[in-house]
Amino acid sequence: MKRKVLSILLACSMVLSLAACGGSKEAAQETPAATETETKEEAPAAETETAEADTAADPTNGEVVDGKFVETRKITVEVYDRGNDGGSDPTNNMYTEYIKKGMLEDHNVEVEFVAVPRWTEVEQINNLLAAGDAPDVCYTYDYPTIQTYANMGGVIDLGQYVDTYKDLLPNLWGWLGESNIYWDKDPSTGTIWALEARLAVSNRINTFVRQDWLDKLGMSAPTTKAEFEEMLIAFRDNADLLLGADADKMVPYSVSYDVGWRAATLIESFIDPDISDKEYYINGFDDRKFTQNGTKEAVRLLNKWYNDGLMWKDFALYGSGDTTEDDMMKAGYVGAFTHNWDYPFRNGEDSINANLQRLVGEDAKFVAVDCFEDSKGTYTKFVSGPIDRKLFFPSTNDEPLASLMYLDWISDPAHIEYLQIGDEGVTHNKIDGGVIQTVAATGDAIQNSGMNIDYTMTCNGLKLQDADLTVKSRAYSYANIDPALVEASDKICNTNMKVGKNVNVGAITAEEGQGPALSEKRDIVFDTAVTASVADFDSVWDAGMEDYLSSGGQAIMDERAEKWAATFGDADMLP
Amino acid sequence: MKATEKKQPAVKTKKSAKVYLKRYWQLYLLLALPLLYLLIFKYIPMVYIQIAFKDYSIVESVWKMPWADNHGFEYFIKAFKNKDFLYALRNTLMLNLLDLVIGFPIPIIFALILNELVFKRFKKVVQTIAYMPHFLSWVIIYGLALQLFAPTNGLINMLLNNMGFESIPFLNESGHWVVTYILLGVWQSFGWNSIVYLAAIAGINPELYEAASVDGAGRFKKMWHITLPGIKPTIVVLLVMNLGNILGSGFDRPFALQNKLVMDVANVISTFVYKNGIKGLQFSLTTAVGFFQSIICVFFLLLANWIARKLGERGIW
Repeated sequence: MKRKVLSILLACSMVLSLAACGGSKEAAQETPAATETETKEEAPAAETETAEADTAADPTNGEVVDGKFVETRKITVEVYDRGNDGGSDPTNNMYTEYIKKGMLEDHNVEVEFVAVPRWTEVEQINNLLAAGDAPDVCYTYDYPTIQTYANMGGVIDLGQYVDTYKDLLPNLWGWLGESNIYWDKDPSTGTIWALEARLAVSNRINTFVRQDWLDKLGMSAPTTKAEFEEMLIAFRDNADLLLGADADKMVPYSVSYDVGWRAATLIESFIDPDISDKEYYINGFDDRKFTQNGTKEAVRLLNKWYNDGLMWKDFALYGSGDTTEDDMMKAGYVGAFTHNWDYPFRNGEDSINANLQRLVGEDAKFVAVDCFEDSKGTYTKFVSGPIDRKLFFPSTNDEPLASLMYLDWISDPAHIEYLQIGDEGVTHNKIDGGVIQTVAATGDAIQNSGMNIDYTMTCNGLKLQDADLTVKSRAYSYANIDPALVEASDKICNTNMKVGKNVNVGAITAEEGQGPALSEKRDIVFDTAVTASVADFDSVWDAGMEDYLSSGGQAIMDERAEKWAATFGDADMLP
Repeated sequence: MKATEKKQPAVKTKKSAKVYLKRYWQLYLLLALPLLYLLIFKYIPMVYIQIAFKDYSIVESVWKMPWADNHGFEYFIKAFKNKDFLYALRNTLMLNLLDLVIGFPIPIIFALILNELVFKRFKKVVQTIAYMPHFLSWVIIYGLALQLFAPTNGLINMLLNNMGFESIPFLNESGHWVVTYILLGVWQSFGWNSIVYLAAIAGINPELYEAASVDGAGRFKKMWHITLPGIKPTIVVLLVMNLGNILGSGFDRPFALQNKLVMDVANVISTFVYKNGIKGLQFSLTTAVGFFQSIICVFFLLLANWIARKLGERGIW
């Protein structure tokens, strides 16, 4: 027995020592790489000084002549893989060819795309960053991820580069402007970990109802919460008339597990439209407005509707990305829902409205309504600032200038336009006055993401070179959809829109790593509170909120309040 | 069982392991591959357990990361102050204990019943059908469960509603969810787990049964006095292994089956680690949690093995 124990011990120690060898070798290899990037990062700063002394000096030290690198550079660029049916390889199709060719001709930079699954992008980018394999140009919707890696030294500070190379980046500066380039600039250290892409259209979400059901019941579109509720009750009580044999499948109002998002217009109508910038910011960590004043009353209303049989009972059981709810909308069982402002129009032949027309009848369709009035009788819609994805370079990026030139190239108005609308007769037609009408493309010309948003990484939303034309064409940018429906939805979105401002008081350390855990807690509270009995609602909500606050929510709010006071003093509003 | 096979020859050739090695070198060569697998995927990653005691950094090598506060135990303290972790710990224990109490005996009973079947073909068919769920992924099982058990769209609840009964909240109420979770687990694995017992039963000397018949023993007597004692060593080994896993839990089963309404009982250590570590980037904290989990598992394993030996069984080593 003793001998066996000894042999096991020996074996273990051998294994451990082997492992140790492996580890130290890794360490040895990593050190020079780290110093290398450090020196590289420092270099341009030193050059700025010389540039100041002698204005004629070239910040690139002759590496770039007439906007082109003397020696061919190579960069890798992230692109989302949406895995859609019938789509093309996101790293290799006619649009990537267009970009690759253009970059090589204009800047002598070779571009290679790296696909990252859209619906697990944060996890995937994490893995790539942790493994040191992240693309040179990355984007994500999740700023905390960038901040976390920046704290560990895994992200390049863009602060020095964007200014030093400003003359080489006219399109980037022209499109993003100081507001989006400096959006995340740390007020004390001046670092910029990410550039904020620009939102061309600020439209966020709308509520949609079945126009044909309203017609059948002789009702007009609701304009208040009370009318909306009346409408839901009418849907429920007339299920036999509206759905016939499928009456038991009737869902008057549908939400998903993400109640905070899928009932956002309702929730926002309970928030004071004159809320101070300070209060809005302090409660602003959660993008579903969980801790804002008024949210609880909104959810109480949802809870009442749920218990009155006006909502889908199974909503909490289906996770993110599940298509069950969409299928119910397409099949015509859903009377009303709240979602992205263009949700029923998206995806051409497979859009919700196109499916309704096919499966239910020619006149079946969802139309946008504006019916959640706030305390002032207006219809305030809180939208975030004009920012979209966050663009950043991991510290493994050896070509920051070439990468910035890529961002510049992709921000060129002509390039954005081509990527968004493609070739005439293939992905769009020109109708009267040059208005662009999107048509469903086939084969290689299929855009994997709407208007190729995944390639136009600095821009989200239609942006043609002609501003007037852009507005006119927006309604025509949905294949197979009546432009009048899109225009109506667009108009409602812009009614009483309140655009968020940039409150930049530096990084909030209490937020680090808290995002996923707190978001999940929020969803749990929303879901359990909506499905609780009316009598239990208060206790469920209050217990959940208490848990949320004590698990880090309160600490975040405290730090936000503290940093606000440090930056803006007693002011309640931004200067 | 491998251990027992190896043991006997090892005793015989105590003196000359070299000769033994020479004679059976092909077998050792075959063994080398799995050993290499263990080395690469199980032992070398252990180097990174250090992360639990250090402030994780993506760019530094694991040897150069600075030590965490409180003599490196900062993240263990943090974990035990985190109430979500404590809930996850409680839920893991609860679900695994229930799994053990309910899920452990069923394959044994199933193997005993199957063994008594006379029609060979029927036995084969039943066996195959019982194995099948083992090959389904948990995501698919959750899909099936939704089709069957969802409160309004689930087949069973639709039937109940049509007969005038209320829906049963199989998936959307904590108490019911636990039952569903356990029973789905049993359904998925009992057929597969019974294979080991069937193999053990096949190894029992048939003469014993004949002798018992001569003595006038009936079916149940034979089961009780011959079959069960015959497979007892197997049962004990599997019990020890199961106890060793009392704090471990697979990731896919709880992750696929949980939903927002039952998180108070469905959040287990593995999903906690996923959420806070991989999604929340708190690598040090979750490595600490994982390390703690492993230590407890080893402790239970040793304890169960010690008890098994005290009870006169062989244990697993």
